[in-house]
Amino acid sequence: MNEEITVFSNVKIIDILYNTTLFEFIKTMHESELLMYLSFGITLLAMIAIAYVPMKMKAKLATFIVIANAMITSWIAIPALFGDALEYVMYAGAFMGNITIRIDALAAWFMVIINFTAVTGVMYGDGYLKGHQSKPAKLSLHWILFLLFQLSMLGVCVVQHGLAFLIVWEIMSLSSMLLVIFDHHKPNTIKAGLNYFVQMHISVLLLTVGFIWVYFQTGSFSFEAFHTFFGTNSNIWLFLIFFVGFGFKAGFIPFHTWLPHAHPAAPSHISGVMSGVIVKLGIYGIIRIITFLSSDLLLLGEIVVSVSVLTGLYGILNAAIHHDFKKMLAYCTIENIGIIGIGIGVGMMGLGNGSPLLYYLGFGGALLHVLNHSLFKSLLFYAAGSVYKQTHTRNMEKLGGLIKQMPKTALIFLIGAIAIGGIPPFNGFVSEFIIYSGLLEGMKSSNLSQTSLLILTFAGLSIIGGISILTFTKAFGTIFLGNPREKMDPTPQEVSRLMLIPQYIIIAAMLSVAFFPQIYLTIISHIVQGLSVSRLGFEPVGFDSFATMISNISIYSAIFIGLIGLFWGVRAVIVKRRTQSSQPTWNCGYEGIATPKMQYTGKSFSKPLSKILNFLLIEKKQFTQMKPSELFPSKRNYSSSYLDFFEHFFIRKITRRLLYATNYFKFIQNGRIQSYVIYGIVFIIAIFVLTALNILQ
Amino acid sequence: MLSFALIFIAAIFFSGIISRTKSIFSGRKGPGIMQPIKDIIRLFRKGAVYSQTSSFVFQIAPTIYFSSVVMAMLIVPFGQSKGLISFNGDFIFFAYVLALGKFFSIISALDTGSSFGGMGASREALYSMFAEPAFFILIGSLALLTGHSSFQEIFSALHLGSYITYALAILATFVLLMIAMIENSRMPIDDPKTHLELTMIHEVMILENSGFDLGLILSAGCLKFAIYGALIVNLFIGIFPYEYTIPLFFITQFLIAITIGTIESFMARFRMGHNAQFIFALTSVSLLIFFGALLILGKFI
Repeated sequence: MNEEITVFSNVKIIDILYNTTLFEFIKTMHESELLMYLSFGITLLAMIAIAYVPMKMKAKLATFIVIANAMITSWIAIPALFGDALEYVMYAGAFMGNITIRIDALAAWFMVIINFTAVTGVMYGDGYLKGHQSKPAKLSLHWILFLLFQLSMLGVCVVQHGLAFLIVWEIMSLSSMLLVIFDHHKPNTIKAGLNYFVQMHISVLLLTVGFIWVYFQTGSFSFEAFHTFFGTNSNIWLFLIFFVGFGFKAGFIPFHTWLPHAHPAAPSHISGVMSGVIVKLGIYGIIRIITFLSSDLLLLGEIVVSVSVLTGLYGILNAAIHHDFKKMLAYCTIENIGIIGIGIGVGMMGLGNGSPLLYYLGFGGALLHVLNHSLFKSLLFYAAGSVYKQTHTRNMEKLGGLIKQMPKTALIFLIGAIAIGGIPPFNGFVSEFIIYSGLLEGMKSSNLSQTSLLILTFAGLSIIGGISILTFTKAFGTIFLGNPREKMDPTPQEVSRLMLIPQYIIIAAMLSVAFFPQIYLTIISHIVQGLSVSRLGFEPVGFDSFATMISNISIYSAIFIGLIGLFWGVRAVIVKRRTQSSQPTWNCGYEGIATPKMQYTGKSFSKPLSKILNFLLIEKKQFTQMKPSELFPSKRNYSSSYLDFFEHFFIRKITRRLLYATNYFKFIQNGRIQSYVIYGIVFIIAIFVLTALNILQ
Repeated sequence: MLSFALIFIAAIFFSGIISRTKSIFSGRKGPGIMQPIKDIIRLFRKGAVYSQTSSFVFQIAPTIYFSSVVMAMLIVPFGQSKGLISFNGDFIFFAYVLALGKFFSIISALDTGSSFGGMGASREALYSMFAEPAFFILIGSLALLTGHSSFQEIFSALHLGSYITYALAILATFVLLMIAMIENSRMPIDDPKTHLELTMIHEVMILENSGFDLGLILSAGCLKFAIYGALIVNLFIGIFPYEYTIPLFFITQFLIAITIGTIESFMARFRMGHNAQFIFALTSVSLLIFFGALLILGKFI
């Protein structure tokens, strides 16, 4: 045995594999490559198996495979988080050529996040889909797609070859689209799915254009070609193409409009995973492209920061007014993408200014917020899913007082709500604090426009924090507190332990970020250094002292909790000796029991805000006005909903025009198979002729 | 530690001075300066009535609110002496710790299922959200001006350069004073002295609280006033020695209390619809401070 093998073989099975002659060729492979194939293999087998195993076992098998895949890929990824990048080349036929598989710290970070969220998602989904046992085909397809979905997301992180990247990206988009339309008997779900489908393909189109542009300039699809491209060409346009392309996935405005439709339509575990990680892969793409940039970083950073802060504000403003709680969470995802984007932009400014600390704070904050958001957003989606499962409504105006029937879910939602507002002592504060510090650091620049932009961003981030308090107090208060607004039949009950356990796991992970941030910051510092230390020659100045400070903050957070505990203890001791009684809520002396209708609704809670910003938050009211002659008014309906500004004013207008134009080409899609065959033949002949005539090369 | 003790002492008298000022202006004999504290102490000894609708949130919220204010108090420095907690960017921690208290006081108001609670909660959330950027731009500009980012370093380095910074400090005083009024729901944002249902923000939020919990909320209110007062004092004292700054601290707190009392005696509450504009206008004052900072730093050339 040669040395290389002894170094890498720490798994017994692989030792055996190495020694058998049958697997002689495997010797040429790297251990991780082997593990990767193993993961592919078991997933493919499991995808077939899921269709045939009995009903009860489908979800269990899927859970098992997702966990196995997560363990295998994390096993590969975790060493890359701390150490050197892993790279090998996979030959994929004459057309694709050699595909570089590269797992560096950045890819590994996203892989671990994907794995964690996929595992909690599949565990939660097992319980969530318990009510659908009568439709085995639907469930089989769902779990098969889920496996594919996890694998494709992991693929996106590791592939470093343009074409292969587009293929895995496409598999990811398609599998997630099919996961979204689980309830495909509802027209709205199909509509949301199609919306997602179309927007993802606009995104893919842009990415394709980007990769092809690089290919034509450099002759290579490998990511390495970006270095060459950005080294010799203008950085701005290609970056903007990729930014918009990935921005569709991430949900930057005005490309966010699929999120508020797809998230509510999908089953909650899918919404959780989508919001937790799929959207983050857009962020991954953007960061990956940034690592190759070589000039104009300051300008691009300013663009990214401006778009991001507007995204954040727009997202949270819309989140504040919607009463569909999953839609609210979807908009809140947009807000958090904005926060992550601010971090990225600040990091780019750091690169542009040549300031290592700024670079570290920006990207570090963004990467940590990626983790944090994937944790608390999936937690909130799962908690919201539990509410939906037990009450069958997503309209918070119909809920209320659920804290009495579902205390555990209420507490989980409360923790998620506090964390997502970036409030200490939870994890959201750590990453937001790093981004705030980045902004403060960036302000010191001598560049006036940068200083002004960053102080406005600073204020913008604080408004985002303020509105997110409004949003989540509204959501928590309306769903869980007060009196039930409508009678639920059957009475909602706490969800099963199967659904609660993944949520507890997420909370544990959140607390680990909040109280042991140094572990994560060490990793992040490694990732961030790996991104461009070779290129810019940055010394890691001030990274470590900053990390120490952050861990001090977690001590202060612990002190804060201690303080609350102390006062709570004092209160408990004192209150025990006092008389306590329980009375109905005071109603201005009005005799009789308060009806639930007297409570503030979610809408009335956020109405003052939407009234102030009515130019942006467009309310659509539907009602019939009472006529003066109508002496005995009959029963009438009133409904009000909010429209998405960008969707309503831009996208809808564009699509309407498009529809008008494309209407003239309707004859092409006539529904006759024969015509479609003809089209195919014509296309093939055209290609053949053009190639033969040397017009198409 | 010094600031902690000073704020604590100032908080004891603060509300009393405000109400005494108001009673003098309105020609009443009025309660003594210690009356608010006596009320709080009496509340601590009382039993409580809880709404049947409410849950554990309602019980724990006042404690968390009070703790958040105490935690914020630990961060405030006094001249050269740091607060018990001091690090770069501590003012962000300060604002977010207070936000936790606000979060809980808002949801506890919603917990009772009363429309008053919801009304107050909604407005509290909205107005405190609008006040946020003013505070952040203000401290951010001072951080830019001084090149430091913790409260203590910002305040002690503020006047080292030139005397123009005192002009900025006066503007900042206005902003902080108004934020204090918003945070405590006083005039001209909210009227604490009218009948309960008509005080539109804070008082309706705590309508259902009683006994020990109400005592905690009221004492947190007093502390909050003194905290903002202390921040204002810090804007001016810089690195002067303690024998001047400590008397100055109490004089300033006294003046702030009298100012608040005077404003409350002579102004009517704004219409609710106008509050948002007024609060947001504070942000523009903060932006003035930012431009002032840029001018002093010579970036406008």
